[in-house]
Amino acid sequence: MVLRTNNLSIELVGREISGRPVPGRPRRPAGPYLLGLPALLLSSLLLIPVGVTVVAAFRLPDGSFGFGNFAVMADPAALHAVGNSLAWVAVAFGLVVLGFLLALVSYRLPAVSSFLQPALVIPFAVSVLVSGATFRLIFDPTPERGTVTAVWTKLFGTSPVWLGPGMFWLVLVSAFGWTWLGYVVSLFRAGLDAIPDDVSRTIQTEGVTGWRRLRVLELPLLRPITGVVTLTLVIAAVRVFDLVLILVPGSLQQDADVLGINWWRSSAGGTSGRTAALGVVLFAIVAAVGVIGVRGLRRRRWAMPVSVVTAERSVRRPRPSRRTRRVGSTVGFAVALFWILPAIVLVATALHSPTAAGLDGWWSARGFGFESFAAAANVGLLRALLSTLLISSIATVVLLVIAVPTAYLVAWGGLPPWLGRVVTSVFVVLAVTPVQMYAAPLRDAIGAAGLAGSRVALALVHAAAGLPFAVLLLRSAFASAPPVLVAEALQGPARQSAVLATVRRTYRPALVAVAVLEFVLVWNDFIVGFLISGPGSTPLSLVLWGEARQFSASAGTVAAAAVVASIVPVVLLLSFWRTVVRGLTVGSRP
Amino acid sequence: MIGRRLFLGAVGAAALSGCAPDVLGLRRSVRVAVSWSGAELREFHRVLDGLGDLEFPVEVIPLGDDIPTAFGPRSTRRPDVVMLPRPGLVPQQLENLQPVPAELADRGRTRLWDELLVQEGETYGVPFKTAHKSAIWYRPSVFKQVGVEPPKVWSDWLQVNRQLSLAGIRPLALAAGDGWVLTDFLENVLLGSAPSAYRSLASSAEPRPSQEPAFAAALRLLGTLWAAPGTLAGGVDRSLVQQFPDAIVEVFGHRRAAMVLASDFAEPVVRSFAADPDDIGLFTFPSMTRGTAAPVVVGGDVMVLPRPASEDAQKLVRRLAVPAAADPWIATGGFLADGRTTGYSPELTRLAEQLVAPGRSLQFDLSDRLYQLDDGLQRVLNDFLVRVGDQGTEVVREAVDVALTELAKVES
Repeated sequence: MVLRTNNLSIELVGREISGRPVPGRPRRPAGPYLLGLPALLLSSLLLIPVGVTVVAAFRLPDGSFGFGNFAVMADPAALHAVGNSLAWVAVAFGLVVLGFLLALVSYRLPAVSSFLQPALVIPFAVSVLVSGATFRLIFDPTPERGTVTAVWTKLFGTSPVWLGPGMFWLVLVSAFGWTWLGYVVSLFRAGLDAIPDDVSRTIQTEGVTGWRRLRVLELPLLRPITGVVTLTLVIAAVRVFDLVLILVPGSLQQDADVLGINWWRSSAGGTSGRTAALGVVLFAIVAAVGVIGVRGLRRRRWAMPVSVVTAERSVRRPRPSRRTRRVGSTVGFAVALFWILPAIVLVATALHSPTAAGLDGWWSARGFGFESFAAAANVGLLRALLSTLLISSIATVVLLVIAVPTAYLVAWGGLPPWLGRVVTSVFVVLAVTPVQMYAAPLRDAIGAAGLAGSRVALALVHAAAGLPFAVLLLRSAFASAPPVLVAEALQGPARQSAVLATVRRTYRPALVAVAVLEFVLVWNDFIVGFLISGPGSTPLSLVLWGEARQFSASAGTVAAAAVVASIVPVVLLLSFWRTVVRGLTVGSRP
Repeated sequence: MIGRRLFLGAVGAAALSGCAPDVLGLRRSVRVAVSWSGAELREFHRVLDGLGDLEFPVEVIPLGDDIPTAFGPRSTRRPDVVMLPRPGLVPQQLENLQPVPAELADRGRTRLWDELLVQEGETYGVPFKTAHKSAIWYRPSVFKQVGVEPPKVWSDWLQVNRQLSLAGIRPLALAAGDGWVLTDFLENVLLGSAPSAYRSLASSAEPRPSQEPAFAAALRLLGTLWAAPGTLAGGVDRSLVQQFPDAIVEVFGHRRAAMVLASDFAEPVVRSFAADPDDIGLFTFPSMTRGTAAPVVVGGDVMVLPRPASEDAQKLVRRLAVPAAADPWIATGGFLADGRTTGYSPELTRLAEQLVAPGRSLQFDLSDRLYQLDDGLQRVLNDFLVRVGDQGTEVVREAVDVALTELAKVES
């Protein structure tokens, strides 16, 4: 066929088709994969040492491989520690259940939560070391100093020795519970609040009430949140380390031994087969628990609405009667006061001079002043604060820069489904990996690179340790994007930037949650810095720990250091708490 | 929003750390691992401040009772200087240590220290601080009230305890929360009753205290004191969670007990918590039988240099080894320097003189030397206290047998 126009002759020529027709495939551009590269590099900071540890656990002294190293588990001390670690995981699950029930109660009793918010957040914001120190103050066996002992003695004449043999478990669990319960309740409560009223009304009109309603409505709808909560708490339970170190008197630490501490005391250095085997056992326990616990993260149930549109007045939950409201706020106030009491004890102790705090309790009228703060400043507290600020900031920035593109890739990067599943599973496992699995090889590697003592190296390790959880969380947030947007995004790069703009607007809560939580976790960290860089580079917690070696006599100084160390995380979390909770509870999908 | 704020914060921190390059960890600071905490740690910071201008930053790492972890093999985050409270670890850690600078070697060759710090002709440590571990602080007013004198012989001590408890006063605040208090107690009894057995245990390559009859006898003697009903203030459970400052507060602050076994370094704690600053007395461990020498158990902290030691670390050790370096701490109290007898409070002067006096039964702390037993001895004594404390003397024999069995396990 020939076209003639404007003195040009254009001839169209066809070509014969040869070969068989082949089915087309959707184009998967390789570009997005690059987004995952930084995360891969950062994760290898953990993955490679974990691999080294696993190999070391199975390598026998003569170079062959086998289960010989696991004979360490027959060692009664190690067995005892494993038992204690498992008990801690059980405590974590118990707290999840308890928190859920409390959230239900507060949901059915409106107006409770107005006072509760700060009371629940503060314990979560302070470090484990601080809450351990606080509870040791409260349960001090001397009636002049220990709050509980004083009250008990007043009521019954004599008091048990709370920190004594067997009894210290009560104090340990109380401190752990005080730290975490607020977080659990807040998250479940946010989830319950987000259940659309029309759904619950429909259920109600069909006559589904009580336990059955719980089973068919609330439990399935809250599954993603249950996943997040369980994951966080299991990680916390496995990381129990500093709590025991600071709270349990030296003579009883043997009884309170957990796997982490046993590992540290027996390792005191390189990767021997025995300690590697201990680490692997710990890891196996946790990974099993973690994977079961986060199954909620991997099922698409529903996405929680990001912004709850105020519904018609007529379809909202009925406003409770005035009497209910009054009862609710009274109960709420009482609970809040009780819950905040440890913080009050800590601050009041810090405001006494070291001598007064060592002699009498926080309620005594003698010896008020700032002497304890001065004493704390004399052991290098300010320099410690500065280091800690630096490490936390670097870790948070690095984490955000790497986690956001990775989460985007996992959520919409067009990964083949199987790969998405693999990546998610790897991150779940990494999220619960105990520090003991990568500490020793990593420490050696950092030392060999001449970076020993570098705060930047430590910050990178922190970022790597925080990455799995951050990616899982952000992925949930990104994945709950309106499908229309996703479809548009897959049409080309121009669209993708528009989508990202929307994402920034819509998913800021999740980003804020990741940033704030990472900053606070690193700020409060003891174990990662302690095991990776050795003592000295987690200065803030180390100052606290060093002060607490002779506990009661330095109660004032310890309390002052604890108060100073807690200001930044408490202020941060109180300011951003609502956003953090929203970010943590944004929808979820595989 | 938050990102920007954090970024600004990080920039600000980085800018601030410009004036303190060691915050970034870029400037290699000299890291000193110590076992002190609380007031002692603050005093050490003051000693460091008093050294004047050092050309390198110094970082103090309080490791507490876990100070042996400072020698992790291949641990590159090793401290540069370790203030070792257990000089017995020196022979064990020899391949991880570097000899001290030659001009300081003499300091490590003085009496008692030499057999620990001198290995294969080289000196591996410099004594920084000495501790007199046979001191008992008490309240003279209570003794007057009951009409007793500080005991000179072991049997007198049992008698004093009886009289005090009959008068309704708890004689002894025992700080079992600090394991070394229990081992110190036992070491004093052993050194007082069988000095030769003590020596042979201390210098043996494979110590087997459970096979040593003198050791069992010492345990029995000690058990007799602990088991007498009404002896321990607060009973066994309280004793177990009580650290030495708590015990001192019990005696001098709340005045619920009369005596406490605590070393010279307890002095600042005693003075700061004493309700009556004039009611402070001190006696040293009585002899076990009339005519024998009273025991003096010596402890202390030595400066050792993990290998390879940097120039800066050696400089710091030289600076700290200057006799005047510890002056700020000596002025506060609770610090004895090796071989020095001046500048202390009256109580500590007495202790310092005992440390240099001839004719006393002086020996270095046994549990700090028996690194082979790790802290096994502390654990055994802990359980022993639980079995005998306040239970009456008839349980002692059986408890000693159990303790020896446990100890045999530790030894193997």
